[in-house]
Amino acid sequence: MALFEGKRFVPEEAEIPTSSMADIAFLLIIFFILTTTFAREKGIKFVLPEQKQQEVKLKKDKLIIVAINDKGKVFINDQPTSFDALHDEIKKYLQENSKRIVYVKTHEDAAYQYMIKAFDIAKQVYQEMKLPPKVALGVIKRRTE
Amino acid sequence: MALKIKRKRETKAMIPTASMADIAFLLLIFFMVTTVFKKDRGLRIELPTATTTERLVKQRGLTSIWINRAGRITVDDNFVKPKQIVPIFRRKLSEEPGLIVIIKSDKNARYGVVEDVMDALKEAQAYRVVFATKKE
Repeated sequence: MALFEGKRFVPEEAEIPTSSMADIAFLLIIFFILTTTFAREKGIKFVLPEQKQQEVKLKKDKLIIVAINDKGKVFINDQPTSFDALHDEIKKYLQENSKRIVYVKTHEDAAYQYMIKAFDIAKQVYQEMKLPPKVALGVIKRRTE
Repeated sequence: MALKIKRKRETKAMIPTASMADIAFLLLIFFMVTTVFKKDRGLRIELPTATTTERLVKQRGLTSIWINRAGRITVDDNFVKPKQIVPIFRRKLSEEPGLIVIIKSDKNARYGVVEDVMDALKEAQAYRVVFATKKE
C-alpha cells in the first residue's frame, strides 16, 4: 500500500480577508458625512415697506440719515464722515434716542457695496444695543438739469 | 475504569459581521446615487461682505435675482428688465406665498439698478428680501 502513503493533497481554501471591509466602508461614510457642507444661502434679511406705508411722514429727529453719494462718500445727518467712524456716530445718535431709525440714502450711481456696508454697520449697532434693527433704504436720484 | 469527564464545550458568542461590509457599501452607494448637486447658475458676480451675514434657515421658496457689474439682471436664467420682474414675481407669489427673494448683486453694481429691482418687488408685493453677502 505504499502507493497511498504519498503526500496527502489537502485543498487549501483561497480566502480574501473581508473582516475589515465593513470598517473601511463605514469610515468612508463617516468621512463623506463630515466633509459635506450644505450650500445654504447667506445674506442680510430685509423687509421692503409696503407701498401704502410709504406716505408715513417721520419727524426729522426720529431719523438718522446716512447718505452715500455717487463717489461713495458717506454723510451722517448732512455731516461728512467715513465708514470707519460711522459705527460710533450711529451709536451716539441711537444712545440719545433709541427709537431712531437709520435711513440709508444711496445715490443711484454709487456702488451697491457701500449701501451694504452702511446697512451692515447700522445692523451691528442695533445688535450691540440689543434693539430690533430698524433700517430704511432710500435712493438719491441723479439731478436732471 | 473509564473516567467520564464531561467536557464543557465552550460556545463562542458571535455576531455575524460578514454582511456588514455589504450593508455599509449599500448605504454609501445609496447616498451617492440620491445626492443631487446643486448647480449655482447665474451671473458672474462678486458678493459684498458683511459682518451681520445670517444663514437662511429656509431652503425652499427661495428665488434669486442676479445683478452683475454691468447692471444686467437675470431671474431663473433669463435676462430681464426691471419692469418684467413684476409679473414674474406676482406669479411666483401666487404659487408660494412665503416667497423670499435673494438679491445677488455684484458689489460694484450701480445702486440704481438694485433700487429698480426693489421697486419692482414692492410692486409685485414680494416684500421679503435677502441681500446675499459673504461673511466677513
